[in-house]
Amino acid sequence: MTDWSARGAPHCRGGDTHRNMLGAWIAASAMVAFCGVVMFGPHALTTLIVAILTAVAADMAVAFALRRPVIGGASHACLIGLLLGLMLPATVPWYVPMFGSLVAIVLAKGLFGGLGHYTWQPAVVGRVVVQFLFTGHLSLTSALAMSPVLAPDHILAGDIDIDHAQPITMATYRGWFEVDGPARADAWLMERPVQALRRFAEGKIPPDGDQVYEPLLRDALPPWRDTLLGMVPGGIGESCTIALIVAGLFLIYRGYLRWQLPVTMLAAAALAAAILPVESGEQAGGYRWLPVLAVEQGRAVGLAYVMYHLTAGQLMLGAFLVAGDMISTPMRARGQIIFAAGIGVATVFMRLYGTLAGECYWSILIMNWLVSTIDRRTKRPVLGMAA
Amino acid sequence: MSMWRNILGPRQKLDGGLFLPDHKSITARRPIEEMEIDGPLHVPLQIRRDLPATARVEPDDCVLGGELLAHADGSDSVSVSAPTSGKIVALERVWTAADGFLPGAVLEPDGRDEWVQPRQRWESESFVWQLADCGVMCTTPRGPGHALIRAAAAASVTDLIVNAMETEPYLTADLRSLVEEPGRLIDATCEIAGALGARRVLFVLPFRHRRVVARMEAEARGRFVEVVPLANRYPQCDPIVLVKTLLDREVVPGGSVLDVGAVVVPLAMVRATGDAVLGGRPVTQALMTVAGDAVDHAGTYRVPVGTPMRRIAERAGLIGPVARAISGGPLMGVPLGRDDAVVTADTTALLLFSDGGPRPNPVPCIRCGWCVEDCPVGLDPSELMHLEAEHECDPIDLARLRVCVDCGLCSYVCPAQLPLAASIKRARSRFEKTRRHATAAFE
Ligand code: SF4
Ligand code: SF4
Repeated sequence: MTDWSARGAPHCRGGDTHRNMLGAWIAASAMVAFCGVVMFGPHALTTLIVAILTAVAADMAVAFALRRPVIGGASHACLIGLLLGLMLPATVPWYVPMFGSLVAIVLAKGLFGGLGHYTWQPAVVGRVVVQFLFTGHLSLTSALAMSPVLAPDHILAGDIDIDHAQPITMATYRGWFEVDGPARADAWLMERPVQALRRFAEGKIPPDGDQVYEPLLRDALPPWRDTLLGMVPGGIGESCTIALIVAGLFLIYRGYLRWQLPVTMLAAAALAAAILPVESGEQAGGYRWLPVLAVEQGRAVGLAYVMYHLTAGQLMLGAFLVAGDMISTPMRARGQIIFAAGIGVATVFMRLYGTLAGECYWSILIMNWLVSTIDRRTKRPVLGMAA
Repeated sequence: MSMWRNILGPRQKLDGGLFLPDHKSITARRPIEEMEIDGPLHVPLQIRRDLPATARVEPDDCVLGGELLAHADGSDSVSVSAPTSGKIVALERVWTAADGFLPGAVLEPDGRDEWVQPRQRWESESFVWQLADCGVMCTTPRGPGHALIRAAAAASVTDLIVNAMETEPYLTADLRSLVEEPGRLIDATCEIAGALGARRVLFVLPFRHRRVVARMEAEARGRFVEVVPLANRYPQCDPIVLVKTLLDREVVPGGSVLDVGAVVVPLAMVRATGDAVLGGRPVTQALMTVAGDAVDHAGTYRVPVGTPMRRIAERAGLIGPVARAISGGPLMGVPLGRDDAVVTADTTALLLFSDGGPRPNPVPCIRCGWCVEDCPVGLDPSELMHLEAEHECDPIDLARLRVCVDCGLCSYVCPAQLPLAASIKRARSRFEKTRRHATAAFE
């Protein structure tokens, strides 16, 4: 008699492990990070590397101090560091990502019990905390409106320095591709698109005759194509919408991100932007509802306004890479729909009426906090226990 | 099948479940083969530990194929017949995968394979008696076939469901018999339906085998058997899940499908019933799939009851060393710790793998929610898992534990590699025991 090994049923597994998942998320984030490094130069690379290295080192230190095994190797800490780096602009000094990673790993991950137990997505916590601590570099209330972007012939290698950047007059700026002649400086300084949208909602962009939206689109925002391709200032991973969509599709294809989450989040944000009123410039306190319906000189400016809301920054990064973190989202697809709708609406609401910068990240934290409630409300009915 | 159904798929769908990679492509194409076995057969004389039978043979007796080896004691037991002609060498214990050691007889075949006359069908003998006499067995729930029919008749069920949904990977015994003997299966179904007086007869089979479905529909025409193809989601084959999908009736926790007026008969039992009632032959063979990556000639075989699994592995040919063996499907099957386990009447497969199987390396739940979405009965396994470590559980949680059909899908999908299904099973058996103790003390 020979022994055949005996282990309990089931005798096979689906083959997806947490390692594959973390690997796929890191790959997707790395792709976005690559685009960010191309757009923002070596400074972006240093920011990302500092964030990742600190996160990994802090994770090991926490595991050592609490005598816990490091679950999943360094990959989870690596992912958190990477996501944190993507949420920061390339202009921050090295200690900002370092501190953010420390906060994310030690406070938000370690103290909450490590992988699988935290309530708030650690990278977002890190991002929000450094926003409080380093107001000089990351404005808390969006006063630091101008930020740099590399000029066309300086990508990948240019020095993105806020003090030497050449300011741009938006009214005559025809887009990143359309500028003739070599730029004098490595980088251009322009207003972040989110910032322009905020000013518009507050009624600070004066109307041009009877045209309300046209001044915003013409004089304050870069062409929509630039926001799609990422030639606008913002966080390292926030601006390149195309890369974010591809990364998200990759995760959805692998089955690690439910399509319902990004789709609902973007749809809810679009809907909120389409409906929520903006203050119109000419009469103070006068609100215009349903901005999506606005048509000026035969152009659907309202639609363009809504599209800018989606691609102006943060929202895409939030939808495709940050909010989908399984540990801090509801379990079921149904719960994730509610969760994502909440983030989308809250983001646009805070963008239009709030003063806090980083609105998408705040919304994610708020909804993270509601996850257990959502989970309780979206339980599946158990067969035979209909009550 | 109408064109629309071809495009849109089956109407009824299971809430949860998963399409598993089915690994059937080799065995599904090969016709059923008789497996010739030389060497002694170790025939178990009982079909379950708690169903006694009295041996009717002594060592050195010569028996013919189909002769009675053991006679049923009590109304739930079934008789056991000899799989071939030969000499009884000894009466000793044999090892079975599902029940451990059972009393058995060692039969040395004489190679002539002589059989007794097929049993005549007596009108005076009841259907139930014939099933018991021929040793017909039901695979899910595991037990004597005639007891199931009797219980169904006592519960006056209205719906008879024949379950040919073989949704576990590798298994092809039901599929092959659908291909090779469709008419006989329908005949046997009608026999059972007649005995039960069922008002509605549903024949459930996998939708993806369109030609089999069309063939069965043609066979069933005009015979009051409804052929219902369903999507191949695992675990559609489970009776409780099947009744929910087909009839939209929900079984209360811990109950059986008989409570809701339906009886689910597995195809293996229909096959055996056909042999017993229409052919007068007792059950002496198992139709089983032999597959897995260690097997050379995988296929579906008819194997005499009592054949040691090691023999089957040798006859089918091994490519390399076997690291693990499973009796039954890869999700619900029983691991075979020893290779002298024998084939019983309810064996459906022998799977031999050259790898050691999944090595669980669990990490904390990462809240992916896959187990919740895929559970066929709507449980939250990630929550129930914690009950294993608790000292007591409230009635609601115990009811939840009882709803679980042990399909193993939650463990299959879990990316954190948590042993969810096993924990739930252990917690259930423990709390059911303590509860019984509590009620006993109370009384
Ligand atoms: S084993 Fe039980 S809990 Fe797990 S998926 Fe199957 S029915 Fe649900
Ligand atoms: S499948 Fe595993 S990791 Fe996912 S929610 Fe269930 S228990 Fe948690």
